[in-house]
Amino acid sequence: MTWHVAEEDLRAYAQGELAPPLLWSADTHLVACAQCRAVLAGVGDPATLDAGWERLDAELDAPRPGRLESLLVRLGIADHTARLLTATPVLRRSWLAAVVFLLVTTVGAVYTAGSPTLFLALAPLLPLAGVALAYGPAMDPTYEMAVVAPLHGFRLLMIRTVAVLATGIGLNLLATLALPSYGLRALAWLLPALALTATGLALTPRLGPVLAPSLVGAAWVALLAAQAGGDRTPVPFTAAGQGASAVLAALAVGLLLLVRDRFDFFSGSAA
Amino acid sequence: MTPTVSASGLSLRYGGTRALDGVSLRLTPGVTGLLGPNGAGKTTLLRVLATAVPADRGAFTALGHDPATAGGRQEVRRRLGYLPQAPGFHPDFTAFEFVDYVAILKELTDRAARHREVRRVLDEVDLAGVRGKRIKKLSGGMRQRVALAAALVGDPGFLVLDEPTVGLDPEQRMRFRELIAQAGEGRTVLLSTHQTEDVAMLCHRVLVMASGRIRFDGTPAELTAQAAGRVWSSAERDPGAKAGWRTGTGSFRNVGSPPDSADLLEPTLEDGYLLTLDDAGAEVAA
Repeated sequence: MTWHVAEEDLRAYAQGELAPPLLWSADTHLVACAQCRAVLAGVGDPATLDAGWERLDAELDAPRPGRLESLLVRLGIADHTARLLTATPVLRRSWLAAVVFLLVTTVGAVYTAGSPTLFLALAPLLPLAGVALAYGPAMDPTYEMAVVAPLHGFRLLMIRTVAVLATGIGLNLLATLALPSYGLRALAWLLPALALTATGLALTPRLGPVLAPSLVGAAWVALLAAQAGGDRTPVPFTAAGQGASAVLAALAVGLLLLVRDRFDFFSGSAA
Repeated sequence: MTPTVSASGLSLRYGGTRALDGVSLRLTPGVTGLLGPNGAGKTTLLRVLATAVPADRGAFTALGHDPATAGGRQEVRRRLGYLPQAPGFHPDFTAFEFVDYVAILKELTDRAARHREVRRVLDEVDLAGVRGKRIKKLSGGMRQRVALAAALVGDPGFLVLDEPTVGLDPEQRMRFRELIAQAGEGRTVLLSTHQTEDVAMLCHRVLVMASGRIRFDGTPAELTAQAAGRVWSSAERDPGAKAGWRTGTGSFRNVGSPPDSADLLEPTLEDGYLLTLDDAGAEVAA
């Protein structure tokens, strides 16, 4: 052994107060290190020690968390929340790879066309699609079990929405950094992205998890298509359009909060 | 016996279809079977009782709580185990991770206590040996047992099982029946099934549904008795029979209204079920 668990950590371990990931590290180390086990025996009372061994036994049985889950825990997210996020379909590698590919291609197209409009048009749709696919009967195989679980459906939706939005917006921001010549103009996708995502979610209880985001996405595409070909900047990317996006986002969030209980029930085909 | 789940006048309409039409029932501890043809409304009823879908009309209580209110619904869900008709799994999860995920949905946030519970339910369904195996590598029977283990997390008082034996081979089905019987000890279990053998072997009561209504509510013996004197044997299929089929002995088994001097046979639960459906005017596939 080249290292040993600090006595302070062993005391916390014996009292059941050592938090992950230090807890996992101590668990693994104690299995192989007689010296640390001896120190542990000296710092804890027998009952607590027994509980510690029981926990260790359980830890040895439990699977090691995957890379994403471990990363989330290291970032300070509770292990149970990390597990909920790991089960989010659109946080899987294949989805993220598809988004990255799309963004890289779009940035390439911006350089070729000499205008950021294509990127500004596409970027708001990615968080909208991601959030729409994060929870619901279409993509979540355990949706029906999740709906009847005591954890409120809206809470699960929000946990996943925050994670997917953070990831989607983060990737969009990275793509934005690749367009330095457009300055702040290249960030004009952000408010429309929030507005579209919030509106899609707010309409979901009434229109369903597929139709609501599809209609919102289609409306966005139609709005931009109506202004295509002109020399002027499309309205959503002007100052007035940005203001309207902010207002729409705020209204949609308000509506979403009003209808949050509707996420408590199954939204799929009848039987 | 005091009912643990009671419903009165549950109705639900989807578009133009009346999926539930004034369903009333009272469930007591033990396994109650729910039989009915496709489209009878079984899954809809189970979803309503599992609080996944609210009824348009009517009310029900489960384990002393009224799911019409948010607080009551939460309490019912804390005491509910639900195995849907086609339970989905996250493909990359192991059996342990999947049940652990469901345990989190059931508000077990303390890691050590949750893992203890996951091990307990996986032991209960005899899957301790494969808990580290990815679900996509398990057989159909084992996957169903993983889903049952997930439903058993938190030791629920009310267990709703939607056709859990579909797609299982006879040996797996028998093993699954043992587990359901075990789960039914001290719990209220509602088991939807197409298999009359499931009901005959497991259930102390049986409900028969057709066209969104309960058409029969009684013991399996009483359902069998519905066919007393209405099952007979003949050398050829009796054209007057509601249903008839050639048996392994070469003679025909007919159900319906027997002719005079018919060679009457001992009825089975399946005969009683077919005749109950027929009496209810439902389409019977013989």
